[in-house]
Amino acid sequence: MATLKVTDLHVSVSDDEEKTQREILKGVNLTLNTGETHAIMGPNGTGKSTLSETIMGNPNYIVTKGDVTLDGESILGKPVDERARAGLFLAMQYPAEIKGITNAEFMRAAINARRPEDDPISIRAFLKELDKNIGVLNMSDEMTERYLNEGFSGGEKKRNEILQLMMIKPKFAILDEIDSGLDIDALQVVAKGVNEMASPDFGMLMITHYQRLLNYIHPDQVHVMMDGRIVKTGDFSLAQELEAKGYAGLRDELGLDVNLVDDDVPTGNGDE
Amino acid sequence: MNRMPKSATLELNPALLEAAKFDQEPQWFADLRQAAWDQAPDLALPDFAKINYRHWPLLDFAASGTANETVPAEIAAQQDEYNFVSVSNATVKLTLPADLAAQGVVFCDLATAVKEHGDLLQQYLLTKAIKADEDRLTAVNAALMTTGFFLYVPANVTIKAPISILQVQDSRQASNFVSHSVIVGGDNSNFQVLQRVTTVGEEKNPASLAVEVITLPGSHVKFSSLDSLGEQTHAYFNRRGHLERDSEIDWTMGVLNDGNTIADFDSDLKGAGSHAEVQTVAISTGKQTQGIDTSVTNYGKHSEGNILQRGVLLEKSALVFNGVGKIIHGAHGAQAQQENRILMLSPEARGDANPILLIDENDVIAGHAASVGRVDQGQMYYLMSRGLTKEVAQRLVILGFLGVVLSEIPVASVRDQMIAMIERKLINGQRAE
Ligand SMILES: Nc1ncnc2c1ncn2[C@@H]1O[C@H](COP(=O)(O)OP(=O)(O)OP(=O)(O)O)[C@@H](O)[C@H]1O
Ligand SMILES: [Mg+2]
Repeated sequence: MATLKVTDLHVSVSDDEEKTQREILKGVNLTLNTGETHAIMGPNGTGKSTLSETIMGNPNYIVTKGDVTLDGESILGKPVDERARAGLFLAMQYPAEIKGITNAEFMRAAINARRPEDDPISIRAFLKELDKNIGVLNMSDEMTERYLNEGFSGGEKKRNEILQLMMIKPKFAILDEIDSGLDIDALQVVAKGVNEMASPDFGMLMITHYQRLLNYIHPDQVHVMMDGRIVKTGDFSLAQELEAKGYAGLRDELGLDVNLVDDDVPTGNGDE
Repeated sequence: MNRMPKSATLELNPALLEAAKFDQEPQWFADLRQAAWDQAPDLALPDFAKINYRHWPLLDFAASGTANETVPAEIAAQQDEYNFVSVSNATVKLTLPADLAAQGVVFCDLATAVKEHGDLLQQYLLTKAIKADEDRLTAVNAALMTTGFFLYVPANVTIKAPISILQVQDSRQASNFVSHSVIVGGDNSNFQVLQRVTTVGEEKNPASLAVEVITLPGSHVKFSSLDSLGEQTHAYFNRRGHLERDSEIDWTMGVLNDGNTIADFDSDLKGAGSHAEVQTVAISTGKQTQGIDTSVTNYGKHSEGNILQRGVLLEKSALVFNGVGKIIHGAHGAQAQQENRILMLSPEARGDANPILLIDENDVIAGHAASVGRVDQGQMYYLMSRGLTKEVAQRLVILGFLGVVLSEIPVASVRDQMIAMIERKLINGQRAE
């Protein structure tokens, strides 16, 4: 079993123009073991993507306190590519578009980055795996020969993130709003892909705004994040409770002093 | 006597002219050399905007050089892939398929052409495309040419397989490399040429290389070149097309030298309906400077010229693309487009992309785009987040950036060679950073 552990994590972003730093994460604690699926829910702007990007190693996020460890060893000093090769994967909320590099060529390079230099994956083995996975995700062959995310629709980009996940097979994956922008059918297809990953050697952290995703990918734990902290952890029923009460309701119940962007929305206004 | 000239602005040693002469040169050729030689000192050096190369030892020729007759092993190993191989002034290999010879195709080294195909060569050598008296560098090339090839494809002959040429500049010792080649496409002929130019050895030497491509009416030539001269070589390239009515040249040039380079790539669209596509990829690394002037001049009505260039800079290098589109009065319906883009990987690199349009006619279509930029950090982060090292991610981004040109290369084997050479150059450049 492998463990990804976040301890008292404080993260700031710097504002280049004003030359100031703003603290986004204010002490996050989280332990994710392989074999487990966790979900994080929380209002907009609360720091969910900041947490994902910081774990992955995005240089724009500055850790001011706390630690992130993989099997007891701190990964904060490692650049993003080393973290990736150590087993982390982030399906990004906003994947980059890169012209001139085909999707397939990129995925092959990513797989080979994890193999000895003199033992790259054979084209046949690669194509076999690729065929299988695009089948699961209902993607067309043509998508793999297109330039990386270039001109992909929002939903196609999300699907492509999951395709990469399935090809790379990391130890831990963070899926940042993989459900946003997906239609109902696409959501089921993507969930099928994600569920194929399930194994005792794979742990997952899903960030989502909607309980619906959790109906397809069942979490062992649900965390609620507000204002840079995890304020409540529970099981699947916590997601249902949120859907009913809204974030403001939960905040008031917990007696937190947090401003929410949409404070004036009446409670119980979920998306159902 | 004075010391050897140390820069492109000093006088030339007359012994150089003697040394350059072929055995039993015909009079017309000796006269051509002599005239160029006499004019050279009075001619100006050509201008390359934003490049100061005047202190480069471009004319610092060796007064006497003993030729090294041995063919380096790495060259011998590649010989099979080429129709023509020369090391310095010696022709090491020359083959022309019998069926082509039977159709009247002429293919030989310059010395042989002077001797055996004088009448033909004389019509095209320095008469249509390049003129000896344009500037000091063309004059010196004309006066001192000692190597090169002549390819003449008669009217209506189509050649499927590319004619491939490997020319090796020998820097195992001080030596002169002054090459002049002429390619003539007869009416409605159709063929491909690949010119590889490379260096063996580490001595500091100048190199001067000219190629004239003359396309007669209705002919179509695909010309590809891969230049990889050594770090200690100061190089001057001049490749020029003279296009007659309804003829076409597709140029694909990889400027992948390791040393300082100035290059002049021109297409003169003389005939109505003539057409040039010019695609260049250049990579500068280390401390080198490469300046590339690419120009297309539309003379003919409805002529079309398109320039597409991509350059990448690493370390402390410099690279300048000057794209010149000239439309001469009377070239009704002419088209001239150009796109020059440069990507810099290092904060110490200096890149420049200058489109220059000189248009003297109204009913034409002309346009240009140019950019000098850096690698997008968001893209790098995304690639690296999948485990690619910074180096591999950079190379992918660069190959992606060069992709528009690379994917247009008409000959697959040239494309593969070009990509392999680019990767090697990038890997070396990255290692040094
Ligand atoms: N690179 C950055 N530079 C400046 N500010 C940033 C940066 N990244 C995040 N922030 C700010 O940090 C706060 C948290 O952003 P984050 O993207 O983590 O929120 P989130 O919880 O993922 O929100 P959403 O649900 O809308 O995706 C926001 O106020 C955001 O503007
Ligand atoms: Mg987010």
